[in-house]
Amino acid sequence: MTRPRTAYALMLASLVFALAPLAALAQGRVVVLEDAQFVVSDSRQPPGDDAPWRPVRLPDNWYFSHPAGVTAGWYRLEFDAGRITNHMIHLPRNSARHIRFFVNGEIVSDNSAYSNPGARSNWVPPASFHVSWMYLHFGRNVLHVRVEAVPQLRQGLTRLTIGPATLVRPRFELRHAIQVTSLLMFGAAALLAGLLATAFWLRERKDATLAWYSVTALAWTIIAMPWAHGAFAPSQLSHGALAFIGWFAYAAPLLVLCLRVAGRRWPWVEGALWLFTLLGLALSALGGEDGEGPLITTWSFVYLAALIALLVMLARSPIAGRRWVRWLFGSAIVLAAALNAHDLARWMGWIDYDSLTLAHFSIPLVLFAIGATIIDRHLRAVDAVERANVELEDRVAQKTREIEANFKRVEEAEREKVLARERKRIMADMHDGLGSTLVGLLGAVQSGKPSREEVEGRLLEALQELRLAVDALQPMDSDLGVVLGNVRHRMRAAIEDSGVKFHWEVGELPHVPYLTPQAILAVQRIILEALTNALRHSQASTVTVSARADQGWLQIQVADDGVGFRELSPSSGRGLDNLRQRAADLGGTLDIQSARNAGASVILRLPLELSGAS
Amino acid sequence: MRDAPATSVALVEDDRATRERLASSVRAQSSLELVAEYKNGAEALAGLASHAPDVLLVDLGLPDMSGLDLIRFAAERHPACDILVISIFGDETNVLAALEAGARGYLLKGSLQHDIALDIRDIRNGGSPLSPVIARQMLKRLRMPIHGVSGRRADGEEETALTPREGEILNAISRGFSYAETAQMLGLSVGTVHSFLKRIYRKLAVHSKTEAVFEANRLGLIR
Repeated sequence: MTRPRTAYALMLASLVFALAPLAALAQGRVVVLEDAQFVVSDSRQPPGDDAPWRPVRLPDNWYFSHPAGVTAGWYRLEFDAGRITNHMIHLPRNSARHIRFFVNGEIVSDNSAYSNPGARSNWVPPASFHVSWMYLHFGRNVLHVRVEAVPQLRQGLTRLTIGPATLVRPRFELRHAIQVTSLLMFGAAALLAGLLATAFWLRERKDATLAWYSVTALAWTIIAMPWAHGAFAPSQLSHGALAFIGWFAYAAPLLVLCLRVAGRRWPWVEGALWLFTLLGLALSALGGEDGEGPLITTWSFVYLAALIALLVMLARSPIAGRRWVRWLFGSAIVLAAALNAHDLARWMGWIDYDSLTLAHFSIPLVLFAIGATIIDRHLRAVDAVERANVELEDRVAQKTREIEANFKRVEEAEREKVLARERKRIMADMHDGLGSTLVGLLGAVQSGKPSREEVEGRLLEALQELRLAVDALQPMDSDLGVVLGNVRHRMRAAIEDSGVKFHWEVGELPHVPYLTPQAILAVQRIILEALTNALRHSQASTVTVSARADQGWLQIQVADDGVGFRELSPSSGRGLDNLRQRAADLGGTLDIQSARNAGASVILRLPLELSGAS
Repeated sequence: MRDAPATSVALVEDDRATRERLASSVRAQSSLELVAEYKNGAEALAGLASHAPDVLLVDLGLPDMSGLDLIRFAAERHPACDILVISIFGDETNVLAALEAGARGYLLKGSLQHDIALDIRDIRNGGSPLSPVIARQMLKRLRMPIHGVSGRRADGEEETALTPREGEILNAISRGFSYAETAQMLGLSVGTVHSFLKRIYRKLAVHSKTEAVFEANRLGLIR
């Protein structure tokens, strides 16, 4: 009252609701027929009213209603046309081998092929039949349906939906979309996945899971084409085998694939699965339509049990991989098991006969999940390889560092050893040379009053010794020419002061690899001694120093044209034998050629390569 | 030599005994005139400009600064002054560094007076004799490119690579030949050998500087 608008709206709404049935009446109405009468009869024409009709309720699964086995029979149903217009009869499952409709005694439809191949598959498509308005009466109409069916294959008649074609067609199309189009779509997806997996497998032959993935996907593709059964020759052999393939083609590959993906390589289980499958195929090819029912029941249960066993196994020891991959894989198997269980329940008659077949709805998830698992495993393998590579590189680098450090240590130790040896030798030389010179000087000073000249001479000698020792440590680059040059350089003043004609004939000499400080010192001593002798005592006018290489030997000669060798300078102290010993230590020889008043020459011969002694 | 004007000599030496000995050696030569004795680097830096000696004798171990730095300074500011390093041994390490810094030779401590005069005379005549060891090391150093950069430079910097002729001269000296013998062997005059040696000394100094710059660059000291 306070709200008149609301009252008006309510009135309008009730008007619309009141008119709606009228509109439906105008359009005609759709009825789902469940009540029928049935008579077993092989007649081609509808049996008369006198036939022994007995009431049945649809859906009528002949497996239960005719366990003794019947091949053909007639149904009689009545319906109210409501309106004379083109009608349509819709069967959610066309699960009879042969079906024929009569309306008011006139035949309206006949799927006259040898058989309805889809009716033998798990994926029974819906069917629809047109009923022209011409056959219809006002009010009551009689529908006769002749059905040929195989009870063992759970064939029979579903509920019939009848009504104006415009109203029934959407129901048919919806059912068709859910049952058939989806199957085709998923089949196409499986084909794509299978081809992809095959391509990957051809590149990656080692990975058998890719091959099994491909086989499973292609098996799904085959199953998604139940209509193709009709394309084959109508022999029982091929039809039986095809029917089995249409039911179970994917089962064994899927189970094997799941096992392999789960990392289980069980040859016995796989072998049993294949044997079992082959046995089913053989039996269905040979056994005939009547044997096919129990076979399908048995095989369905076994496969489902295997799937559930797989699930239990996965739940106990999950596959390796990321958490979401494990869950995805598990869910896909759960879904597959559930949908297959649903279909098996329909087969067994535990749920409504008209129910959809749903197994194929697991295809996308199963293929996606298994594909993701395989890809994940590959990625993890790649990761692992990369990690291993990095680790390996690290370890190689570390080893290299260790080896380098070791090498350095060894080198260091070696160098220490060489240094110690050299030090010892230099010490010995200091002892012989500088030491004895200084001791001699000390003795001279202690003994009395040495002359200034004597002290100076001895000190210069000591300094000379020291310089020789230092020179021996200079980098001579294994070049005897530099060693000789250095002796000359040191004696420059003495040579100039002596006034002799000095000839220097040192050519390019081959490298002498063993020129250690010790060897340098020895060569220096020998040459210095020879030169000193020539300059101080030989009264020579010409002194020639020459060096040349000759057949593996170096020959160094200090020659003069003086009075000839009588004896070595007494101031040199150690004498000829000492020099010879030094030459021998170097692996060489020292020769002195001399004749009275015919000059003298000291010849040092050294090997180019040192063999044996160090 | 008697007629030539006396060569003015200055010396830097912190050890009193050595300094006096060297001073008396120089004074004993009529051809030499001792113009200054410095006890340390600071005195030398202060006095060099006014004394302008022909020859500077430098001890490497000075109390207040590195002898090498003093040599570098003197060679830079007083290019007409010939620098000789005073060394006990004339060993390669010290002498080569001094040569790189700009010295022209070395003088052995403990040499006879006569020898000191000879050395100073030589350096005025074009360079004191190079020891074979040092000649060999110079040869090696100047032939070796600086860290992979060849001595030949395109960017206008002074070239430090040895010419073949310079290499031949250093090679002969490293085998003990005197300058005169080297000149004769190569068909040159002694004067030419001297001027080649001067160029080699300059290259050595430039080379060591380039190397220092390169090293500093590498260490990021110079941008």
